Amino acid sequence: MRILVVVVLAAGMLAAPSAHGGNLLRDAIDQAIEAGQAGKLGPPATDGEFLRRVTLDLTGLIPTSAEARAFLDDPSPYKRERLIDSLVDRPEYARRMQVVFDVMWLERRPNAQVPADAWRGYLRKQFAANRPLDQVVREILSADGSDPKTRPAAAFALERAGDPHVMTRDVARIFLGRDITCSQCHDHILYDDYKQSHYYGLFAFFNRTYLADNGGPDGKAALGEHAEGDVTYKSVFKKKVTSTTGPHVIDATDVKEAPITKGEEYWAYPVGKGRAVPRQSRRALLPALLTSEQTPEFRRTLANRLWAMMMGRGLVHPVDLDHSDNPASHPELLVLLGDSLATSGYDLKAFLRELAKTRAYSRSSEPPPGLSPGDLAPEKFTVAIMKPLTPEQMGWAVMGATGVVSNYKLAVEHDLYEVNPKLRDLIKSDPRRTQLGIELAEEELHRRLDPSINGFVQHFARPPGQAQDAQTSTVNQALFLTNGDPLQTWLSNGGTYLNGRLVALADPSSVAEELYLSTLTRRPTPEERDEVTRYLADRGKDRPRAMRELAWALLTSTEFRFNH
Amino acid sequence: MRCEYACNSAEHTLSRRRFLGGMAAAGTVGMAGGFSRFLQPAAAAAMNGKQKHLLVVWLAGGASQLETWDPKPKTITGGPFRSIETSVPGVRISELMPKTARQMHRMALVRGVNTHEDDHGKGQVLMHTGRPEAPGNPQPHLGSLAARFMTDESNPLPGYIHITPGGGGSGTSEAAFLGPKYNAMFVGNGQPPANTARSGWFDEPGDVARHTMRRQLNDRFATRRRTADTEAYTSTYDQAQQLMARRDVFDVTKEPAEVLARYGTHDFGRHCMLARRLIEAGSTYVQVSHSNYDTHNENFSFHLEQVGEFDQSFAALLDDLAQRGLLEHTLVVVMSEFGRTPTINQLYGRDHWSKAWSVAMAGCGITAGNVVGKTNEKGTEVVDREVGAGHLFHTMLSAVGLDPKAGYEVDGRSIQIADPAAAPIKELLI
Amino acid sequence: MNAPDPTKIKLDLDLTHDRPLVSCKFDPTGKFVFAGTESDAVVRWDLATKTKTVMVGHETWVFALAFTPDGKVALTGGCDGRLVLWPTSDEKPAPIRTIDAHTGWVNAIAVSRDGQLAATVGNDRIARLWSLADGSLVQELPGHDKPVYQISFDLTGRYLVTADLQGRVIQWDLASRKEARRFDAGKLYAYNGGQQVDYGGVRDLSFSADGTLLACSGLIEASNPLGAVSNAALVIFDWATGTEKILLRAKEDLKGVGWGVRFHPSGFVTMLNGGNGGGILLFFQPAGPNEFHKFVLPNTGRALDLHPDSMSYAVAHHDGHLRTYRMPVKATA
Repeated sequence: MRILVVVVLAAGMLAAPSAHGGNLLRDAIDQAIEAGQAGKLGPPATDGEFLRRVTLDLTGLIPTSAEARAFLDDPSPYKRERLIDSLVDRPEYARRMQVVFDVMWLERRPNAQVPADAWRGYLRKQFAANRPLDQVVREILSADGSDPKTRPAAAFALERAGDPHVMTRDVARIFLGRDITCSQCHDHILYDDYKQSHYYGLFAFFNRTYLADNGGPDGKAALGEHAEGDVTYKSVFKKKVTSTTGPHVIDATDVKEAPITKGEEYWAYPVGKGRAVPRQSRRALLPALLTSEQTPEFRRTLANRLWAMMMGRGLVHPVDLDHSDNPASHPELLVLLGDSLATSGYDLKAFLRELAKTRAYSRSSEPPPGLSPGDLAPEKFTVAIMKPLTPEQMGWAVMGATGVVSNYKLAVEHDLYEVNPKLRDLIKSDPRRTQLGIELAEEELHRRLDPSINGFVQHFARPPGQAQDAQTSTVNQALFLTNGDPLQTWLSNGGTYLNGRLVALADPSSVAEELYLSTLTRRPTPEERDEVTRYLADRGKDRPRAMRELAWALLTSTEFRFNH
Repeated sequence: MRCEYACNSAEHTLSRRRFLGGMAAAGTVGMAGGFSRFLQPAAAAAMNGKQKHLLVVWLAGGASQLETWDPKPKTITGGPFRSIETSVPGVRISELMPKTARQMHRMALVRGVNTHEDDHGKGQVLMHTGRPEAPGNPQPHLGSLAARFMTDESNPLPGYIHITPGGGGSGTSEAAFLGPKYNAMFVGNGQPPANTARSGWFDEPGDVARHTMRRQLNDRFATRRRTADTEAYTSTYDQAQQLMARRDVFDVTKEPAEVLARYGTHDFGRHCMLARRLIEAGSTYVQVSHSNYDTHNENFSFHLEQVGEFDQSFAALLDDLAQRGLLEHTLVVVMSEFGRTPTINQLYGRDHWSKAWSVAMAGCGITAGNVVGKTNEKGTEVVDREVGAGHLFHTMLSAVGLDPKAGYEVDGRSIQIADPAAAPIKELLI
Repeated sequence: MNAPDPTKIKLDLDLTHDRPLVSCKFDPTGKFVFAGTESDAVVRWDLATKTKTVMVGHETWVFALAFTPDGKVALTGGCDGRLVLWPTSDEKPAPIRTIDAHTGWVNAIAVSRDGQLAATVGNDRIARLWSLADGSLVQELPGHDKPVYQISFDLTGRYLVTADLQGRVIQWDLASRKEARRFDAGKLYAYNGGQQVDYGGVRDLSFSADGTLLACSGLIEASNPLGAVSNAALVIFDWATGTEKILLRAKEDLKGVGWGVRFHPSGFVTMLNGGNGGGILLFFQPAGPNEFHKFVLPNTGRALDLHPDSMSYAVAHHDGHLRTYRMPVKATA
């Protein structure tokens, strides 16, 4: 049985995810996840659950009630695949990826060196164009902030102030799936795989780098680098032994460095804290090596992080503790995912599309009766794992449900096209321009609503500079949603906001339907319709007030809080 | 590190109730296993009605030991202030603290502190966690540990309240892997915690109705999809409602004017009074920050102003706690990120100095009137009973009945609650 | 009188002590210079012989120094709250009288022109008048909300001026012993909300020789009080109207505090900059706004005085040196 799986996986490995016919990655994934789990797998998610899940995962938004109705009432058996294909072509997809990778790479550090807009705009552009991810990583690790054209990409290093230790730690965690922080001082006590030599091998790429107080556009800071400086280290346990290392990735041998001619070390010599530019840059050796075939950890980690984003948990979990004492739940699958991602030319869109089209992704989060806790262990992926909404998802979901997003969208479109009919005609004249118009509107919508999102980030995000992948509930969040100003006001707006739309409906059952579709992307059950009807009867004549209360209860419900 | 539940099942949600009710039934998976050892005494104490409290007065920026607890008058490092007698014969402190001097019989001084850390951020982490900061490997702060292990879940007040000038603070990182639930709640400026007043959009019946509806929805959802995460989420709303009901605790205007006059009519006075109200109302851990002691320049004038405020408010606080019988259950600690240089710089300033400084303690578990440790004549070095942040941390935990050697597991790593390299300062403990 | 040339000022006497100095004053006869130190000792140097005499009558540091107009009695005010009277020129001076004048530091002392009254100010926020005849308290003058830093009698002898940390300057009528006027030198004060500290204040006072101008020295632009980031400045008041005439400051950001100020009889005004930017003497014309001459001292300075002969300044330095700086007579054309 085991052999068979391996054979199947090996075949799957050959198929690029986007290939037509042959073995699709999605099939290989499902075979790997389902092997030995017959009779223990959760049923498929309902259409409503699937629509909500995949819309959140790929665009960061929840569907409007109109979108929900259309999808639920679409009889096509192919509607889920069509939905996935259409979502990744929306500007909101690029926006969602921008948030995912901004948070993954900068970890909500204050944008002290590169303005947030520039960095995020740069990211969005890469995802909109579906630029190969390895290229993007090479770019962000190569940029030193001196060239205005690539300065936004330099944010990764600049926001870390070019600190060699922080760079070492974060490159290892983020790109190699290894939190080797403890290895700074000694070989890891508990994980045999994490060596001090790993830490200092990586450190050696960065040890000559520093944040210069000039060299950037308009005299801003940029990365400088010295031409010399070797890395030696001692274990705190073996203080007598001093080791020396050149730059290398994990267990690989030291990178060969070109000899430096005395007196010709620099293009720009160091002056004070000014920017020095060596003829041989150690830092510049890393990006190509890191993303090359020789570093399987890179593709494996990237695939694992993307899997975790979609599935709610990495195959290696936590995503930055990849070592032999914490093996992947599905080791061959993880290799396959990494290799497929690389073979596809790091085609992010294709990879995510493929994950979204698996049965594993589209299962219900509701366990079928009769399964033991062991059967339901999360690393088995037998049911969908519920994912708490990220701070951004939570904000956009709340604003989407209450009608803030649709109202602002109307306003943006009005301001763009009604005020300037010529622009409207121009945009409508050509599909390419129409697409540009959609992107323009999306950007403008964000410009207007991003400040509101910041309130959610402030309450729901983890502290800057720490891994952002865990979400936890706090009383401050509950207070914010219970009494905080923005939500209560949004719940009270009339007109085409949710409250206004509900009040306009006379029949309680219609109220229930619009309410559930707007917030939970599904129609209410008969029991829930009755519940709403009773609530409205009990709460008397002040219908706006009763609608506000009902909508609040749905928005603060567990079902809303989690991508289930 | 992240807050990691042992499994997806609600059965593994960590709570004192479950430990008391049926530790065995819950199984000993992941984090749960190691906790039991030190939860027992704390839990038992709570059951006996002897809830213990911690009150930390944080002198932000690094208060000068020479202008507070360890004066060296008439020496080259002593500065212009003199020392005065206290209520403990033979123990002299700076003349800037006449009122505190009269409370000395309730306090103990640790005068041999050497923390080897002269950086503000790292010193702050060190003093709050009892071990050096390890980038990427944050440890829970004392307040988060208290919130987690000394606070009954039925307590409506947050387990870790930090009163700061202006009420600022992030409140997002103190708990580390214990989870954000145990982060600090920041208050200050005479304001109750944010968003604790019922939104004006809801009348009382409407408020009750919306919460009833929310619970119905959640209960239905939970019949099939209940996890530690969903449980934690729904419980925060209950906490929120309980906190809203106790909002008046934060309102210091409820105190008579003469009480305020005793504490001092400045922010720090109000904040100390609030701390007493919170302890009285059952809060586990309250920290009051007083700002700012980072006096690289004109140390003496700034300490005159700062210590003057501190003295009045702190003495009133200690006296109040004692009068009300709270002090025997409350450990009071006065500390900073470090002390200040004995050498006076050319700006009449004192710089960062972690090599020889002082921490004061009082109350629960502490031998009153005690002085442990000694510095040399000029205050430049510890000459007797040198202790570090780890020792202080062990001492604080021991004083409130937590076993500093108890361990727990996080992400497969076993961690001792206090730095294994240190031990409690036995002479300080009852 | 020969007019001195401040642009040619240079080091004259270099007198040394083993502790940093905190204050200094010439006696009215010009024979001695006195200095307070970072210890309980006050030091007296004979300018002619450079003989140093250490006087101990306080428990701790002495910031306040003054003399009776005849120069016979020296007055010192300490951080112990004491006002001590000494025979200025005794070989080994011993206290004549000790008065518990303030709770906390005595920051400054002034003696009335008739030699009858001593006036003191301190951190206890009160100004007090003392009878020099018997050491009795004559009057308390409450009116400051913050520690009071400086004090001076005006040229007519009818008024007393006190100045505090907030930059509040109060003019007291000696006849009625009531507040006559207030001047606002609040420019020299800042409350830093981030650090939660008060900073600044009037560090020194000086009347012009004709009594028409009052200079208050201190600091402005205190962006980081605890880190000593500020710039020295002078606020010049028109004494007749009680209004601010001008703010004088160095052309460059020298980073420091105006620890001392002295009007020179010939019209210019000198400020001592001390602090992060080091010790610097800045010479201004009252019309300002910037210095016409800058003289960099070997070490940061903490107090300034002008010799009765108007030709040299004394500066109390942190390095334990009391240095005098002499101006040559201006060459006549």
